[in-house]
Amino acid sequence: MSEIIRVEVAAELSAFSPVRLVLGGLGTRLDFSVEQLEDMYLATEHLFRAVVRAEELPRFGVEMRLDGGALWFSAGPFTSRALRKEIEPATPDGACLDLCRLLRATCDDVQVRENDGSYQVILVKSRRSPA
Amino acid sequence: MTPHDDHRANDPLDLEALPGQGRSMDEDEDEAVPGEPRKPDTKGRGRDESDKLDQYLLRRYHLYGDRKAREQLITMYLPLVRSLARRYASRGEHFDDLVQVGAIGLIKAIDRFDLERGVELTTYATPNIVGEIKRYFRDKGWSVRVPRGLQELNIRLNKVIDELVPKLQRSPTINELAEAANATPEEVLEALETSQAYNSVSLQASPNGEGGEEDAGLIDYLGGEEAAYDTMEDRTTLAPGFAKLDKRERYILHLRFFEGLTQSQIAERVGISQMHVSRLIRRSLEKLREEIGDVDNPDPSLLARHVEQSS
Repeated sequence: MSEIIRVEVAAELSAFSPVRLVLGGLGTRLDFSVEQLEDMYLATEHLFRAVVRAEELPRFGVEMRLDGGALWFSAGPFTSRALRKEIEPATPDGACLDLCRLLRATCDDVQVRENDGSYQVILVKSRRSPA
Repeated sequence: MTPHDDHRANDPLDLEALPGQGRSMDEDEDEAVPGEPRKPDTKGRGRDESDKLDQYLLRRYHLYGDRKAREQLITMYLPLVRSLARRYASRGEHFDDLVQVGAIGLIKAIDRFDLERGVELTTYATPNIVGEIKRYFRDKGWSVRVPRGLQELNIRLNKVIDELVPKLQRSPTINELAEAANATPEEVLEALETSQAYNSVSLQASPNGEGGEEDAGLIDYLGGEEAAYDTMEDRTTLAPGFAKLDKRERYILHLRFFEGLTQSQIAERVGISQMHVSRLIRRSLEKLREEIGDVDNPDPSLLARHVEQSS
C-alpha cells in the first residue's frame, strides 16, 4: 500500500524546508542512503527554485508518495512555458549543466504529465538507484 | 680548491654550498610522533644545519626577493603544518582543509618573519599556524542557532559517514547511521539538516588573504596539478559561471553530472570523503547561482548557457 503526503506550499524558497523534512522521513522509510537522499534534496530544491523563478502562481501543490520501492515527488499544476522548457528543452544540449541535466542525473525518472492545459512535474527516486 | 669553490665557500647565499642540499624536499612522509609537533623536513641535516638553512632561505627571500627560497621554506615546513592540523582533525573538519588553512599561517609567518629578531622560524611559525586553524574553526560558525546536541551529532555523523563508506563500499543509509551514532533516524535527519546552517570557508581565499585574481588559490598552492582536472578545462575556462569554480570543483561537477558517477565514486577518485564531495557539489552549484545573479540576465537557465558558451 502506498503512502501519500500532500501539502500546498507558497512559491517561495523558505517553503522548501518542510518539504525537505518530509522527503527525509519518507526516504528513511525506504532505507535510502545519505547519497540517495542528497540527490532527492538537490533535485527537488532546484525544481523548487525554477518554479519560484518561472511561475506566477503564489502557491502550488506538492505530493510525496512511497510506491513500489520508490519515492515519488510530484509538483503542480503549472502552466509556465518557461519552466517546462527548463525541464524538457526542445533540443537538449549534451554539453549543458542545466535543470534538465541536473534532474536526470539525480533522479531515476523525470516526467511531465499533461492535465487539462496544465502539467505536473514528477520526480522518481528508487531505492535501488546507485549509491 | 678551485676559484669557484672558494667563491662558494665565502658566499653566505650560495645554496649549493649548504650541507644537506640537493636532496628532495618531498622525500619524507613518515608519521609524526603522536602529540608532538612534526619537525620541518630537514632529513639528513642536524639542528644547526637546518637552522642555518632556514636562515639562509629567509635571507634569500626577504633580502633578495627569491620566491624559490620562499617556496622551499613552505615545502620544508608543511610536515609541521600537517602535524599541527592533525591535533584538530577530530573536531569535525576535514584534515586536508585544516592543512590548507594551517598553510596560510605558515605562509604568513614566512612573509612576516623579522630577520633581526633572532628567533627560529619554527618558534615563530607554530603559533601562526595554530592561530590560523583556530580562526578557521571560529569563523566557520553556525549561521543560525542550532542546539549544541545537534551540532555535536552532526560532527559525529560526519565522522561516522567517513568510517562507514569504505567499510560498506557505498553510502550508508539513515538507519545505519542512526545505529552507528547511537541516535534515532529522526535525530540523524535533523542533525544532517543542520549542515545547511553551517558556514563554509572558501579554500579559494588567496594565501595573503586578498582576493586578487592573480593570486593562487590555496588549492592551487598546495595541491599537485591533477591532470584529470584538465578534462573540462577547454570547455569551461572561458565560461563566466564556471570560471568562478576551481579545477577540482569543475572536475567534480563534470564527474557527477556528465559522467554520472555517484558521490562515493567521485570521493574515491578524487581522494576526499563523500561528505566533502557533497559539500563541494552544493558549494559549486551555489557559486554558479550567485554568478547568474551577478550577470543579471533574464534567462532563467543561465547555468546551461554558461556551459554552452564554453563548449
